[in-house]
Amino acid sequence: MGEPMTDERIRGVVHQAIVRVLPRVRSNEIAGHLNLRELGADSVDRVEILTSILDSLRLQKTPLAKFADIRNIDALVAFLAGEVARG
Amino acid sequence: MGPVGIEAMNAFCGIARLDVLQLATHRGLDTSRFANLLMEEKTVPLPYEDPVTYGVNAARPILDQLTAAERDSIELLVACTESSFDFGKAMSTYLHQHLGLSRNCRLIELKSACYSGVAGLQMAVNFILSGVSPGAKALVVASDLSRFSIAEGGDASTEDWSFAEPSSGAGAVAMLVSDTPRVFRVDVGANGYYGYEVMDTCRPVADSEAGDADLSLLSYLDCCENAFREYTRRVPAANYAESFGYLAFHTPFGGMVKGAHRTMMRKFSGKNRGDIEADFQRRVAPGLSYCQRVGNIMGATMALSLLGTIDHGDFATAQRIGCFSYGSGCSSEFFSGVVTQEGQQRQRALGLGEALGRRQQLSMPDYDALLKGNGLVRFGTRNAELDFGVVSSIRPGGWGRPLLFLSAIRDFHRDYQWIS
Repeated sequence: MGEPMTDERIRGVVHQAIVRVLPRVRSNEIAGHLNLRELGADSVDRVEILTSILDSLRLQKTPLAKFADIRNIDALVAFLAGEVARG
Repeated sequence: MGPVGIEAMNAFCGIARLDVLQLATHRGLDTSRFANLLMEEKTVPLPYEDPVTYGVNAARPILDQLTAAERDSIELLVACTESSFDFGKAMSTYLHQHLGLSRNCRLIELKSACYSGVAGLQMAVNFILSGVSPGAKALVVASDLSRFSIAEGGDASTEDWSFAEPSSGAGAVAMLVSDTPRVFRVDVGANGYYGYEVMDTCRPVADSEAGDADLSLLSYLDCCENAFREYTRRVPAANYAESFGYLAFHTPFGGMVKGAHRTMMRKFSGKNRGDIEADFQRRVAPGLSYCQRVGNIMGATMALSLLGTIDHGDFATAQRIGCFSYGSGCSSEFFSGVVTQEGQQRQRALGLGEALGRRQQLSMPDYDALLKGNGLVRFGTRNAELDFGVVSSIRPGGWGRPLLFLSAIRDFHRDYQWIS
């Protein structure tokens, strides 16, 4: 096993997924109060970003529908941290 | 257990179409991003078309191929729709009347959002499998339409609108189900179903839709995975990457199916990005061919994807097709069946691709006039005379075969007219 999955590492995974799917976005532009739509992600991009984050964090059991109410990047990181902690 | 499945099937997707790239330009959307959604055209319902006219126009060519005795052996008629115009009277009664079916027939209307067509198909398959009426056939007609009108307080430039407007289509698929499945032989018992309560998209009021498009897409993905897991519990040897020559998915819009397939391949195959893209083009893209030209026709969409697969796939050897249907709310199913070259020849002879090309192109001003409700018959209309000249550039008729259109409503009863 590698290092423990801190919030900062989770945030890094989120940023990585976003910049891969949205090449026009730079990591330092991803403020915590923004949501994926505001960063320029359409519905197909949002699905791709979320599934690739779940892949990276090996959260195979988290239902995707749980992400529908998450309104910004900070909330996304907090939710993912909770899922990681639950295993 | 003997064979069962689809003996014949056909779609009818209207007489008017709209180029959705033109629509996106007209709405001032970023068209460079639009390609991501994999949409080309959509059918636009005219005021004198409704779910009955689409359904009858889809079913008639396959019934015309039957003898009188075969036609009279249809003992179950299921209308599958979320676009009906009466809470009590089943839409199948109108289909039954205008298709001239036997009176010794069960007439049912079934609702389950975009899952309705597959719900009806499975009900028909089980009726045939039960063996209680040997030799009987069932006719399943999935028919839906979305008449977009700009809702009060709505804004045609919002992202949600820009996603929903170009993807909403209109049309029907009719499926004759029997013990002689010449087109699609169902794998009996190979069904994975998965459903739960979720408020994603719905029609809580007449003539309009509501909901959360993002939640719906995410719920679709959860269901696709879990329905397939249930399928593999019943068919332990099944493998997502290897067992199916083609995949026919419910298609809200093409980009959604591409995303779902990519997610499924990641979970179940371990293949890399390039291989997944090639697999998408080979196994999934044929099923998008008609859906991309019609838009989402809800309960009939998965069947339209199956038609696209059959017409555009390679069936030199028989191929198993994996099918996935998702209906908001939600209920979903992964099932499969086998298509042979004979089935493909029968389907191609019906000329669906040519019929889609025959739809007339709507101009943007004509489309906007329809959007504002020009000539529209709203839910609950008691009396109306339909004007076949409401869109001056388009006339019903001249299709090469008679088509049914809505001509009047008298005391809530709908009158229809065949036009050659």
